[in-house]
Amino acid sequence: MANEALAGRALRPSQTDPATRRAALNQAIIYTVLILGAAAAILPFLYTVSVSLMNLTEATGGRALPSTPQWTNYTEAWHDAQFSLYFMNSVKITLISVGGAVVFCALAAYAFAQMEFPGKSFLFTLLLSTLMLPEAITWVPNFITVSWLGRISPIPWINNWPSLTIPFMASAFGIFLLRQFFQQIPRELWDSAQIDGSGHFRYLITVVLPLSTAAVMTLVLFGFVGAWNALAWPILVTTSSDWRPISYGLLVFLDEAGALLHLQMAGAIITMLPIVVLYFFTQRHFIEGIATTGLKG
Amino acid sequence: MREMLLAYSFLAPAFIIIGLFGLFPLAFAAYESTLRGLNKIVGSYDGLGNYVKAVDNLIYIINFWLAVGLVYFAVSMIARAVQEHRQEQTNAMRWALPAALTAAGTALIARFVFILLPEMLLIPSKLRGQNNTQEAFRSLVVETWWLPKVQIALWIGVVFLAAGAVWALLINRQMPKDGRDRIYFMPFFNTGICLISGAALIWFTWTEINAAYAEALEEGVGLELWSQIVTISAGFLLLLLAWRLWESARDRSSNMGVALRLVGAVALMAGAWVLIAELPRVVAAGDEDWWNGLMATVFYVLGTVPIQLGLALILAALLFQKIRGQTLFRVLYFLPYVAPFVGTAAVFRIIFSNRPTAPLNSLLDLFGAEPLLWLSEPAGIIQMITGGKIDLGPILSGPSLALVAIMIYGTWTYVGFDTVIFLAGLGAIPNELYEVADIDGAGGWAQFRHVTLPLLSPTIYFLSLYAVIGTFKAFNHIFVLRQAAALGTTDTASIVIFQAFKRDTRYGYASALAILLLLIIMVITLVNNRIASRRVFYG
Repeated sequence: MANEALAGRALRPSQTDPATRRAALNQAIIYTVLILGAAAAILPFLYTVSVSLMNLTEATGGRALPSTPQWTNYTEAWHDAQFSLYFMNSVKITLISVGGAVVFCALAAYAFAQMEFPGKSFLFTLLLSTLMLPEAITWVPNFITVSWLGRISPIPWINNWPSLTIPFMASAFGIFLLRQFFQQIPRELWDSAQIDGSGHFRYLITVVLPLSTAAVMTLVLFGFVGAWNALAWPILVTTSSDWRPISYGLLVFLDEAGALLHLQMAGAIITMLPIVVLYFFTQRHFIEGIATTGLKG
Repeated sequence: MREMLLAYSFLAPAFIIIGLFGLFPLAFAAYESTLRGLNKIVGSYDGLGNYVKAVDNLIYIINFWLAVGLVYFAVSMIARAVQEHRQEQTNAMRWALPAALTAAGTALIARFVFILLPEMLLIPSKLRGQNNTQEAFRSLVVETWWLPKVQIALWIGVVFLAAGAVWALLINRQMPKDGRDRIYFMPFFNTGICLISGAALIWFTWTEINAAYAEALEEGVGLELWSQIVTISAGFLLLLLAWRLWESARDRSSNMGVALRLVGAVALMAGAWVLIAELPRVVAAGDEDWWNGLMATVFYVLGTVPIQLGLALILAALLFQKIRGQTLFRVLYFLPYVAPFVGTAAVFRIIFSNRPTAPLNSLLDLFGAEPLLWLSEPAGIIQMITGGKIDLGPILSGPSLALVAIMIYGTWTYVGFDTVIFLAGLGAIPNELYEVADIDGAGGWAQFRHVTLPLLSPTIYFLSLYAVIGTFKAFNHIFVLRQAAALGTTDTASIVIFQAFKRDTRYGYASALAILLLLIIMVITLVNNRIASRRVFYG
């Protein structure tokens, strides 16, 4: 939707010959700058790919391209660093936390968007104020809370899935994002749903959520990226590789691999690939989700 | 009524999680920061001790002014509500009592939390060796919960809260459906909360100051506390006064304005002089790591935010022309922001490596320059440029080269993000304005300066605030990129807190630092909002 608006403003048409030439020059400069920017953005990625295919002497010798691609680097990194384990851990963590986040955020967002109750504006302000809290302030308290909860619940929390997922099953950001979409759903739909005898819960599941797949998709994507990127909290609450997610796994591997730069880069590629592929397939959701929430938040 | 209960049950799961892991930590950290806590043992009560360790006597001043600020907020909120109520002829005062009751109830619930927490935290240390079982732990938790003083505190709070809420609901029932004055509950409630927390803060600080005094007397050393408090406060007050005078001078006639500006300049100089004379001593008495962390953070903000926003604005303005492949460019620019941070940081670790054959060093070699240490270089860049012959001191020598490398990485990741948001902002500017400007004969630059920039100012404001706060929170990439050889010059505030917690296991101290960080972020947000309300043009 933003795309059309963005492209809407055209360069002014040119009438005379010098003006045409100037416009052409302008275009050339614009493209040069844009291409330089794009090059700066992707060169580090290309370099990563290149180094990840080198052998050790090439990687430390400062070569730009490998003479023959060493595809075995990937299998070597994959086995050395238990990436398969980290991978599965991250996938499991993501599925649990994002699944929870969608359910809980959708419920709360629906209440904020479509229902009336006392204290609504107060609770919403309270919710938004948590966005300002730095993550650092939650480290110590949440660590203690989590280890404490592990002692009263049947399963331990530290170095286990609950500590890595449950705190992320609801977020002010997710509720805010979904509420923005839910609010745009016309009231008439609710009125007619009521005539059909449907309650709030059924209306939410059968009408509101199907209409808001774009927003839910954005929430899922952000949850995925967030879980993949998580570093500080996993360092605090995982003590072994059993539940170590992929970013932390890569960090550990970087230290273990030491001077083996080509393996380091292969590990980096392995870590980045799922997110980058996901991004290329869903980039519209990503970018527009960022743009809409960013502008209004 | 049924809808209300249903709404609350919809909210319940999200609020339990956010409350437990997002809001409760604030109270928990505040409590934890008053404990000596070391090595996972709940330490003894230490009052403001952790804060004094971090920022020395400055904490008393901060607390005092925080309390003053709270009272000021309370008064201004009441004043605004009363003014509005006079104009609108509504009956606001009947909300005062229920709101006060609810505020008191909230404060009492907070008190209950602070009574329950220490008891709960003591449980693990009661169980040693053989007795340390799950069942024993659980039964102790239940026992603690049913302690008389805990229960009494809880029920007092609940009774107050319920009384206030029921009263407010009753008033609400009596009102006509379109009653305007139901909005008065919140101002009164906020005022109550501000007043109570301000009073509690002053009382707490006062006891702490007295305790510090008594201790100093016992040790037989003089305490410069009061003189420091007075001079530093006076310094900040003078700066504030200077700012105010300058502001008011702007819309006055020339003579008056000049006079006001002169007085303002004098106040500015006096305030700055007092602060320059007094602050370094306080800073020197505080925690060096913490102050260095703050300095690194400020360097980081100054070095990344303007460049990042400038580059993004240029790219967005260019992309916004009718450009072929606009989507492709956007996708590529955004890539560094989406790619997992640890992965890209790993790449930059190699690019900025100190090996002579690393990419950047080979580039330098191409130009015949000596290889640099990059991420392992603790020396400040200004120090390096000037040849390192004169010792410039920590601030003047600038950020270390290692920090500059991290700043480059930070800019690289965030430019695309800013570009995307700028593009959305540009798309929201109505096209007619440009057509009108075209008719008026405004050229490309004039259009940009007088149409685009003012209309984009909300976006610029949002992005700069987001970037500054983001820097204070930044952790992941700095943690990956930091090298031991950089001697901690790259450690920003969040890293210092993390190290105090994870490496040194000083729980109380880490909490105190985190609270200070929160205060800084709050002040930045407030100041930013003030400036924005004047400078930002909202259509």
